[in-house]
Amino acid sequence: MQQFRNEFGLILAIIAVIVVTALVNPSYSQKPADNAMEIARQTSLLGIFALGAAIVIISGGIDLSAGSVIAFSGSICAQAFYLLAPEGSRGIPDTSHLSLGVFAAGIGAALLVGFLIGTLHTWLITIVGLPPFVATLASLVGLRSLAKVLNQTITSALGNQSTKLNVDDRAFIALGRTWWVPLVIFLVLGALAWLLMNRTVIGRHLYAMGGNEQAARLSGIRTDRLKWLAYCLGAMTASIAGVLYTAEVGIADPVTQGRGYELNAIAASVVGGCSLQGGVGLIPGVMLGVLFLRVVIDSVAKVVGSGSDDYEGLIVGFLVVLAVTFNELRSMRELVEKRFFPGMLGWITVPTLSMLIGTVTYVMGGRHIGLSAGIAALGLLGAIKIWEETRGK
Amino acid sequence: MTNDELAVSAFSFSFIVLRSSFIIMPHLSIRHITKRYPGVTALDDVSFDLLPGECHAVVGENGAGKSTLMKILSGVIVDYDGEIAIDGEVRRFRGTRDAEAAGIGIIHQELNLVEQLSAAANIFLGREKRGKFGFLHEREMEEAAGKLLSQLECHVGPRARVGTLRVGDQQLIEIAKALSLEAEVLIMDEPTSALTETEVARLYRVIGKLRERGVTIVYISHKLDEVFRLANRITVLRDGRFVKTLDRAAANAREITQLMVGREIASVDLGSARRAADEVLRVEELSLPWPGHARAWRLKNISFTLKRGEILGFAGLMGAGRTELLECLFGASADRPQGRILLEGQEVRFETPAAAKRAGMALVTEDRKRLGLFGRMNVGHNITMCSLTEATSAGLLSRPRERRMAEGSVAQLGVKTAGVRAAITSLSGGNQQKAIIGRWLLTRPKVLLLDDPTRGVDVGAKAELYHLIDRLCREGLGVIVTSSELPELLTLCDRILVLCEGRLTGEFSREEATEERIMHAATLRE
Repeated sequence: MQQFRNEFGLILAIIAVIVVTALVNPSYSQKPADNAMEIARQTSLLGIFALGAAIVIISGGIDLSAGSVIAFSGSICAQAFYLLAPEGSRGIPDTSHLSLGVFAAGIGAALLVGFLIGTLHTWLITIVGLPPFVATLASLVGLRSLAKVLNQTITSALGNQSTKLNVDDRAFIALGRTWWVPLVIFLVLGALAWLLMNRTVIGRHLYAMGGNEQAARLSGIRTDRLKWLAYCLGAMTASIAGVLYTAEVGIADPVTQGRGYELNAIAASVVGGCSLQGGVGLIPGVMLGVLFLRVVIDSVAKVVGSGSDDYEGLIVGFLVVLAVTFNELRSMRELVEKRFFPGMLGWITVPTLSMLIGTVTYVMGGRHIGLSAGIAALGLLGAIKIWEETRGK
Repeated sequence: MTNDELAVSAFSFSFIVLRSSFIIMPHLSIRHITKRYPGVTALDDVSFDLLPGECHAVVGENGAGKSTLMKILSGVIVDYDGEIAIDGEVRRFRGTRDAEAAGIGIIHQELNLVEQLSAAANIFLGREKRGKFGFLHEREMEEAAGKLLSQLECHVGPRARVGTLRVGDQQLIEIAKALSLEAEVLIMDEPTSALTETEVARLYRVIGKLRERGVTIVYISHKLDEVFRLANRITVLRDGRFVKTLDRAAANAREITQLMVGREIASVDLGSARRAADEVLRVEELSLPWPGHARAWRLKNISFTLKRGEILGFAGLMGAGRTELLECLFGASADRPQGRILLEGQEVRFETPAAAKRAGMALVTEDRKRLGLFGRMNVGHNITMCSLTEATSAGLLSRPRERRMAEGSVAQLGVKTAGVRAAITSLSGGNQQKAIIGRWLLTRPKVLLLDDPTRGVDVGAKAELYHLIDRLCREGLGVIVTSSELPELLTLCDRILVLCEGRLTGEFSREEATEERIMHAATLRE
């Protein structure tokens, strides 16, 4: 059971968040099916490429490019539709009734592009010798820009300068809007990823490489090939997500689509129990991590009553810090004995944290609540600081 | 005050003077020090004294607690039970700076220098001298560093970049740093492990000078000849416990070894009536370039052969090229070697360790933790890592089959473990090593390369490993062993080749080989 401590904790946390939200906000009890479907759809969309991100992290690397690969591959898919679709009225390609062949070609192009991006990352990392962080950071910045320019090349030939491509085909849009389509894809990919990581030689070698790359190489494991696989899985799962996000709105829009999503995927992996040092993490844990992240985001949106995306960054940032802190602390004893606010750093950190807590509660609950929460935090953290100071002497 | 009272106090005064001239107060007292880690007691109620100006050797097997104790003395470990008293005053260090301020310096086995900085900058690291406006006062530091270094017979300019210096000189820079801190106690952890003979002689002279200045030396070593040469008193630790402190004059090597191990060591007699068969490996004119280095070659023109059922040993100082040679044979060297390698008569050229493994080579690496173990995995997974494909059916791993493979290895090699699912890190060094040897035996190799296989393994387990290696050899495996300990090679090997600065400088059969001859060959410079 010790082995699955993290997974158990996540399940309990998910249940707790749902129960609390249901008590505070009537939405969950009034429309359970709608809410469940929406959470399932959102979780699956994020989960698809979080699986790829997790495999890269377990193998000892990092892939920062997912958000841009989502935008790029979505655009590539739409571009393929534009190039292959029959011409409609006013010389603009008619994407409202795509043939099966065109449909497949678009999705195939997106997947192929994912494979090529993963290959490029591997080449930069293993042959050129860039750190994974740098190689994938270059894609993060570069691919989004490239997608924009490519879309413009197509639209300018049609007479406007838009960076967006509209896709009107109903079947395509249904792909992203039907709640169970992403869910089925997510569950199938999850099962395949679990099989790969837990029941194959390749999976064992990926864990080995993530845990100790030098030892893996000296054990006769071909680490370069494993990296190729890992980064391709990272990019191709992002491609699948890219197609689905484009289908959801019927527009390929590289300016906004997938912006910052790479960090959500990394956060979900970390919350799910992966260590950024590599070699650690289970696929079911990652899937639960994604669910937990989405449930918390949805819960805060329900409780505060704003758009569900407004608080996303704040929640992701907070949960990542919390999850990694708990992974690092090996025991409750360490939590009690650790000095959190030593010296000058502590004197500055205490008011900073209090201000942060005050600000967050202010924007969520108004001036009075914010002020009192901030003061309470200052009192509490200050007391901890002073207690630590006296205990140290 | 009456006359009587005066007489009494005068009497007691003279008594105190007399007393203190006969009984030397300890400079540093270690009292009841205990340090526990989860599941392990590294130190258990250890107490002994250091007298001012003495050279005090601390000896013990691996895992005896020497390093832990020194880390406590030097302020690296701060949470422990018990106390340390300096000149009778109890001190509790909160970090290395506190220990330095109290006059305790340490020279770690793995030196703690910033390679990119100059000698002077390293000596004053963290305590830089500053001139006007708080800017660095380079000249003053360089002058002071130069003075310290020349006192230590270190002929290195204070501006020399530390990364370009020899290990022996780097060590003296650490000593200079400790001196600039006015250390009264200097701890040296296995200081000679990387030094040449002349450097060792120089280090002995430096230690002599330090003692003339009244510095107390704590000398940690497992080489008893060094200990007997340098130390006034010898403290033995075993399994984290204090065993005994002896005066050098009253001790002999045999007694100390017994105290270290806690039992008589049966001397291992191996190698008799081994019968070598046909040749399995031939190396011709192997050279490994060293781009950007003055020596240009890590290895130069190495030729030798290995037969089935033979154990071939490679001796040499640290940095002589032993590890590099094995890496070349295993396709793991950073640069491409030149020359020919023939395996069973076929010329081979390994681009990767994967290719070498397929051809039937196996390498048990020197640095087990960094290059061998998968610390996050269990014993079974560590053992099957190189032969997993044999445990698959239809592409999927069969857990029962994998388990049988691992359990077979554990039984065959006598790995002491709670089971194949126990964490590999829960095993002792010797059993970890057996597990890794087991990993490679599952690949059914033709040649087994063992790079310093008993490093970090305690004496009892060493003997077990020797018997294991002997058995594998008798079963027809060709084995190449390197070691930093000559007695080990003398025990194990049928032939010993000696490397010095990347060249082959000696070859001895089992009958010819002695420690003196090998050491002579190992220091034959061009």
